[in-house]
Amino acid sequence: MSANTTMPTPTPSPVPKKNEPKIEGTSRLHEGWRSFLKSKSAVIGAGIVLVILLIAIIGPMLLTFGYNEVDANSRLAAPSAEHWFGTDDLGRDVFARVINGARISLWVGFFAVSGSIVVGSLLGLLAGYYGRWLDVLISRIFDILLAFPGILLAIAIVAMLGPSLKNAMYAIAIINVPTFGRLMRSRVLAVKQEDFVLAAKAIGMKDRRILFTHILPNSWTPIMVQGTLNFAIAVIEAAGLGFLGLGAQPPEPEWGKMLSDCRQYIQSAPWTMIFPGLAIMFTVLGFNLLGDGLRDILDPRMKQ
Amino acid sequence: MNMRKSTVIGLALIFVFSSVLVACGSKDASSNGKTLIWGRGADTKSLDPAQVTDGESLKVTKNIYDTLVDYKEENTEVEPGLAESWETSKDQKTWTFHLKKGVKFQDGSDFNAEAVVFNFERWMDKKNPYHKGGEFPYYGYMFGGYKGDKGHVINEVKAVDENTVQFTLKEPQGPFLANIAMPPFAIASPKAIKKDPEGLGKHPVGTGPFTFEKWKKNDTITLKKNKDYWKKGFPKLDKVIFKSMPDNSARFTALQSGEIDVMDGLNPDDAKTVKQNSKLKLSEQQGMNVAYLAFNMDKDTPVKDKKVRQALNYAVDKQSIIKSVYAGLATPAINPMPDSIWGFNKNVKDYSFDLEKAKKLLKEAGYEKGFKLELYAPSDPRPYMPDGRKVAEVIQSDWKKIGVDVKIVSYDWQTYLDRTGKGQHEAALFGWSGDNGDPDNFLYVLLDKDNTRTPDAGNISFYKSDSLHKDLIKAQRSTDKNERTKLYEDAQEIIKDDAPWVPLVHATPGIAYQSYVKNGNFTHPLNNDKLVKMDIQK
Repeated sequence: MSANTTMPTPTPSPVPKKNEPKIEGTSRLHEGWRSFLKSKSAVIGAGIVLVILLIAIIGPMLLTFGYNEVDANSRLAAPSAEHWFGTDDLGRDVFARVINGARISLWVGFFAVSGSIVVGSLLGLLAGYYGRWLDVLISRIFDILLAFPGILLAIAIVAMLGPSLKNAMYAIAIINVPTFGRLMRSRVLAVKQEDFVLAAKAIGMKDRRILFTHILPNSWTPIMVQGTLNFAIAVIEAAGLGFLGLGAQPPEPEWGKMLSDCRQYIQSAPWTMIFPGLAIMFTVLGFNLLGDGLRDILDPRMKQ
Repeated sequence: MNMRKSTVIGLALIFVFSSVLVACGSKDASSNGKTLIWGRGADTKSLDPAQVTDGESLKVTKNIYDTLVDYKEENTEVEPGLAESWETSKDQKTWTFHLKKGVKFQDGSDFNAEAVVFNFERWMDKKNPYHKGGEFPYYGYMFGGYKGDKGHVINEVKAVDENTVQFTLKEPQGPFLANIAMPPFAIASPKAIKKDPEGLGKHPVGTGPFTFEKWKKNDTITLKKNKDYWKKGFPKLDKVIFKSMPDNSARFTALQSGEIDVMDGLNPDDAKTVKQNSKLKLSEQQGMNVAYLAFNMDKDTPVKDKKVRQALNYAVDKQSIIKSVYAGLATPAINPMPDSIWGFNKNVKDYSFDLEKAKKLLKEAGYEKGFKLELYAPSDPRPYMPDGRKVAEVIQSDWKKIGVDVKIVSYDWQTYLDRTGKGQHEAALFGWSGDNGDPDNFLYVLLDKDNTRTPDAGNISFYKSDSLHKDLIKAQRSTDKNERTKLYEDAQEIIKDDAPWVPLVHATPGIAYQSYVKNGNFTHPLNNDKLVKMDIQK
């Protein structure tokens, strides 16, 4: 088995646009990079995501205030040179909390999405490849999960496990499993008819090897795209659970929880809500733009 | 043709229906139906007053039932209620009450001496066939237990004649009359109880100004005027609706928009807005209450150690709590009861906010590196604590500085009562609003070892001090106010040293109402939710 057969192009090459001269001899990576740069939304999205990532990683180290420094004497102070985003009702620096909150949101997004990708892909892989009763069983499980509105199911799961950030993460991971599972399953159904898989089967390769060295590498592109998009959804869901008191617990400065904590001050001290709100908005916007861009580049068939 | 015909009929029907609905609507809004809507933070637990201890439940039952004696309109002294007059023997062990004649229960049956005896027997005797529907916790708190218990104060209640009831006590009880006036000891209809002793909590029948109409769980309780109320000319309102709206700011918005007429549990931060609004009025009364943090001394945690409890006392910044959660509308608590109650010990010194001392004490106790502790905080607002979770967050940040990691756990109010009453917490935020103005109602109910009975413990610290018990029982049995004062002062010193609590604050609960609501006795230390005289004059 040569290296070439393990890495065929799973999708037909993008049809070149009319005014676009086809560049011969460029590597796929280079081509990908070029089309990435051409996609405005991808670049903007990636920029936002990068900034948020940087904020999450090094931001907390540069702060002068701790996110849980209660100071009753400067409560509900308007934004100023000292407190850039003002202070909340317990006198905590909103800027420090929003910056620290970035860590929490990205962390939740990353682990929740990774979790659902791992579990979802595995189940989808099995269902798609083996078919028959296994497919029926797994697909019905996905249907059941999809029958509930996502956030409602998440609330139910958290209610069972007890409110905490970790459990909120599990809940978000679980409700997103079918998204990836079904995507993977449909890809596998297509890929397993390809010649190289049939060939591998013909020479007696073991199922496990076929699955993980041939089918999986050729099915993961849409999963990556969906993963980026779902990152945004996970951030929103985590904020939603936090808002309901089912996610992050005090004193964790989770954005959704910050919104809920200060909602009674929406008229008198709007900065306590505007900044966490903006933080959620930009994070979601960033991941959505990046996801859309990636989709355009990696999977032109999904464009329609 | 057919379709057209049905369309016409359909339209006609819609027209008829809508005009009926419009008619209904205008009837409701007309001036001869005075409906008052009272917005509050949580729902009732039960409508059988003998089964509850919380203000939200008693708020409603106070208006359905009456007690033998009542508190005066201006203070906590006692005046006649269902009993016109009373006398007591020299040794204060026999109390004779002469009942009002001609009073009827809302189900038409007669109120008489037998009915009083029936109710007391039901509460005190665990073998009574009608001792059902709950644990009758408040009776146990106030009268030293139940029939057969060593500390039980009441020996016998008997009907001398149709309108005379006699109580015989084992020992004199100082606060007896004040206790009898408390809303949990309201007289319910024996006829209704006999029919369904457990159902009283859902279908209450008393002699009070309002009769029960319907209860939508976690939403509204509707009461309507009792036309045969024995106080002639009262009540003034035709209908009262108690509406549960857990969110303080949502409740306030509802008040501003005119959706409700009265709201309790005003966010301290909103007091300013009420004062600026000419259509609204604000009542700020020095509350007879205390908000506190109770350590569960029954659980196997570091707070079993007195030094740890004292250390944690040193590490709570009460001023910070008052400023940030109460918007300044509270005073720091030193003792378990406010200084508006007689017997308050002025000489007790509070644990100052001193993190160094706290660390030192923790080190002495062997917890230099700190420990983890679970702290319960109610998710619903309480009169003494507008936002329990915020209070918990301030404490969490203070304790963090001495190495104590707090995990905040929240439940809705009814679950909260259940869990703390059973002692499932390690530490819990709680509070108490006095029900009779006597020190006994704070110290004995909340801290005596008698009241650690689960599942309805009043003493949720599960603090069992014999020396305190001795003082409190002696004070309870004495009828000499000077002697009682001394005993209570001593009791407060014992409590301060043992530190079963961190007494936090005495709050000034804000009630806001529409200016057309008249004669509401909002400033009474206990009875601000009795609606007998309240009126709407638009």
